[in-house]
Amino acid sequence: MSDLWKRHRNWLAPLLFIAPGALLFGTIIIASSFESVWISFFDWDGVGPKTWAGLANYRELFADPQFYVSLKNNIIWLVMFMAAPPLGLALALLVNQQVAGMRFLKSLFFIPLVLATVTVGVVFGWVYDPNYGLLALIFNLFGAAAPALLADEHAVTFAVVIAALWPQIAFCMVLFLAGLNNLNPEIIGAGRVDGARGWNMLWHVVLPQLRQVGFIALAVTVVGALRSFDMIAVMTSGGPFGSSEVLAYQMYEQSIFSYRFGYGAAIATVLFAIMIVFITWYLRMMVRLEKETR
Amino acid sequence: MSHVRLIDIDKYYGTYHALKSVNLTVDKGEFIVMVGPSGCGKSTTLKSIAGLEAISSGEIWINGRNVTREEPGDRGIAMVFQSYALYPHMTVAENMGFGLKMAKRPRAEIDAAVKRAAEILRITDQLDKRPKELSGGQRQRVAIGRAITRSPEVFLFDEPLSNLDAALRTQMRVELTTLHQQLGSTMIYVTHDQVEAMTMASRIVVFNKGVIEQQGAPLELYHNPVNQFVAGFLGAPRINFVAATLVNLRDGVAEVGLEGAASTVHIPVADPAGLTNGAKLVLGVRPEALKIGDASDAALAVDAQVRLVEQLGRETVLHVDASPLAAIGSESGTHNFTVQLGTAAPYAAGQSVKIAARASDLYLFGPDGRALNRPKLIAASL
Amino acid sequence: MFPQPLAENKRLQRGLYTGFVGLILILWLLPLFAVMLTASKTADEIMAGQYWTWPKHFNLVENFQAVFAQTNMWGYFINSLIITLPSVLLVLVFSTLTGYVLARYNFKGNALVFALFVGGNFLPAQIMMIPVRDLMVFVGLYDTYLALIIFHVAFQTGFATLFMRNFIAALPDELFQAARAEGASPWQSLRHVVIPLMRPALAALAILTFTFVWNDYFWAIVLTQSDTVKPVTAGLNNLRGEWTSAWNIVAAATLFVAVPPVTMFFLMQKHFIAGLTMGAVKG
Repeated sequence: MSDLWKRHRNWLAPLLFIAPGALLFGTIIIASSFESVWISFFDWDGVGPKTWAGLANYRELFADPQFYVSLKNNIIWLVMFMAAPPLGLALALLVNQQVAGMRFLKSLFFIPLVLATVTVGVVFGWVYDPNYGLLALIFNLFGAAAPALLADEHAVTFAVVIAALWPQIAFCMVLFLAGLNNLNPEIIGAGRVDGARGWNMLWHVVLPQLRQVGFIALAVTVVGALRSFDMIAVMTSGGPFGSSEVLAYQMYEQSIFSYRFGYGAAIATVLFAIMIVFITWYLRMMVRLEKETR
Repeated sequence: MSHVRLIDIDKYYGTYHALKSVNLTVDKGEFIVMVGPSGCGKSTTLKSIAGLEAISSGEIWINGRNVTREEPGDRGIAMVFQSYALYPHMTVAENMGFGLKMAKRPRAEIDAAVKRAAEILRITDQLDKRPKELSGGQRQRVAIGRAITRSPEVFLFDEPLSNLDAALRTQMRVELTTLHQQLGSTMIYVTHDQVEAMTMASRIVVFNKGVIEQQGAPLELYHNPVNQFVAGFLGAPRINFVAATLVNLRDGVAEVGLEGAASTVHIPVADPAGLTNGAKLVLGVRPEALKIGDASDAALAVDAQVRLVEQLGRETVLHVDASPLAAIGSESGTHNFTVQLGTAAPYAAGQSVKIAARASDLYLFGPDGRALNRPKLIAASL
Repeated sequence: MFPQPLAENKRLQRGLYTGFVGLILILWLLPLFAVMLTASKTADEIMAGQYWTWPKHFNLVENFQAVFAQTNMWGYFINSLIITLPSVLLVLVFSTLTGYVLARYNFKGNALVFALFVGGNFLPAQIMMIPVRDLMVFVGLYDTYLALIIFHVAFQTGFATLFMRNFIAALPDELFQAARAEGASPWQSLRHVVIPLMRPALAALAILTFTFVWNDYFWAIVLTQSDTVKPVTAGLNNLRGEWTSAWNIVAAATLFVAVPPVTMFFLMQKHFIAGLTMGAVKG
């Protein structure tokens, strides 16, 4: 027996190594994703039997005004989140000095990144409270009454996204700081000798070297925008009247609160499809970038 | 008037005293090579001239202007970096034109300057390529071309050949020297390779621990080193050192006893200030000055056994064991003497030989490393 | 270095700079300061609507005590520990094994498997929600620690495998070749070549995985219901719903929830940052 093992161990052992992780990941993550797509073709309340519905769920979805509200909100999230990389870069440039105490100050900037989204949601829920939030304080200082942003259908999504931007900017800041620390000092030197200064140096010499980091920051930001759930669930529960819902939240609400698992699965599938488009684009760009910098 | 002047340059990295009161004058059109071991301050000095490093005190003048406080881009210098430092996302042409673009020169002027430099360096058909598509040697030309387009007052080179393979290095050495003849520009060059220094420089500046040990024409430094460090730094294979003691000093002639030798050696001493009998000295003799066999007019002659023979085709290098006479501080870690013969000679390990040196080939260094004699007098024309 | 370093001797400039950054930092963390302020107030002050005045008595400790005594926060905290620590451990083990195989064994489909691990990271949680929940109900693990542990281990193994695989792939080939020349089996290579060198990667991955699992909210609300199993994230949201007027208590609870990840972050900051930026920069 052990002889058999010895002879085949060069492929048997790696197979055994990779098995637990791959199996776990494969069933719970990958297989589940496909199963959800399958479920989207059924009507199901989660308890009783599944009845075949074909594309009925999708037809209903594309006629559902809430779907378009969610989609619109996802786009708002995406567009507003695009502010995170530049702001993260700006903060990174600000703190990138070797002055006494900077290391400690830098790490304090990262705190929003480490907090749970729940925490950020609760914290900003207070910030926005029209009676005693930070926002109220600022408005009161100017003698005005603060708007109840989270209760305003038109402003709510913007308010929630700003809360989500807090940790997102911190994340981009971490990435760009790492990028800045890995700049080639000789190329910077060459830039200085060539007379590039300030903005010129940033644009022509530094930013091109940050391309890879910037790309990752962008990817993380896009994924974060499309996947957003926690912040909405904690701050508004999708309200007022579903005006702050995004696809991820609508899916949850339809499944858990309305017991329409088939319909929820359809929403998830649409979200999945959008993200697949993005993931494929990202992986392709990543491969191309790798080749470029070889 | 001098083209570049360094006046009392001091530089500290925290408490580390990197440059100690460095003074240097460079005339227009000179090819200065700054050499020395790692950490000696040569690169720091070059970067200070460029303005990439700030100095703690002193002044730097370029072409009659005090540039100590100026940005690198305003000093009238151009630099070729060790790893070429080409902008990876720009084409060769864009790389070479970047400096002029920063100076807001008109497009036509930039294009003309780039074309001219590309012709000089023979890279005109690479102009649209990116650095990653080029070989090491080509990248280096682009780096040099980038410097040329800016028509600087002074060219600065920071060990530009150390990333090239041996064959390419020899070729580029010749090309750089030719380039210097062609352009006639002032060039300040840093290297740790003494062969580059000897072959390229009109003047060598030897650095050690933040101080200039000696500067002058290559052969001047080679034949008349001012101290033990310079003698040991220039010349390959390295000079042989022997521990010695001052037995007696009379009428400007030192009687020196060598550890392991029966008789003493008499060497005329130029500057005997502060020497007392019994002082610890070091005797130096270059490998090519040691002759095999004939000891008729020798000041020093000992029996030795050949330990190792290196045949290089046009010369032979012998490592000989002359115990009880020992060579100190040798590169091989042994106490063998290195003998360099100018021909291919059929020696074998184990052979017994007699090695000898004339008085005019013997260097004597004092307890502080200072050269005590000047055995060679170089004619000014050399 | 960019931006250009401030001159070492210009003390005033450096001082002004640090002051400016400090100011920006205060603005940046203002929401947190607001929470800290509220968490230090007494119930009377809150009732009286004195939200922005400096607390008359520094009530922080009492408020924390109230959190532990009157809410389930401590229970939630223990739940988080029970869920997070085993998850992190298992993730480290599995991802080392899978990362090792993907890095050192060039089999057909290696790229595909790797792409699946990487791509799976980007999936929205919602696409797995129904089947995973179903599975847990089916095997009777719904509303138990194991449900969350199993899910988190499965999901985090994706990112962790990417991380480990890149790390192991960067180890010099010669080490493995030397081991093979001495007749090492795959397990021995793993044990004697990889594991001794893995400490920084393990540290980085541990802190990152800890943070991701501890901070999870979605799966906490999907896979658990009862207070005995809920982690702090879901617990905090519940608390906010239940204790709507006692803001000082809720604020203290919020701080309590924030403390573990922030503390872990400061303790292992270097590893955290290294882990996050691993793929971003070479070398």
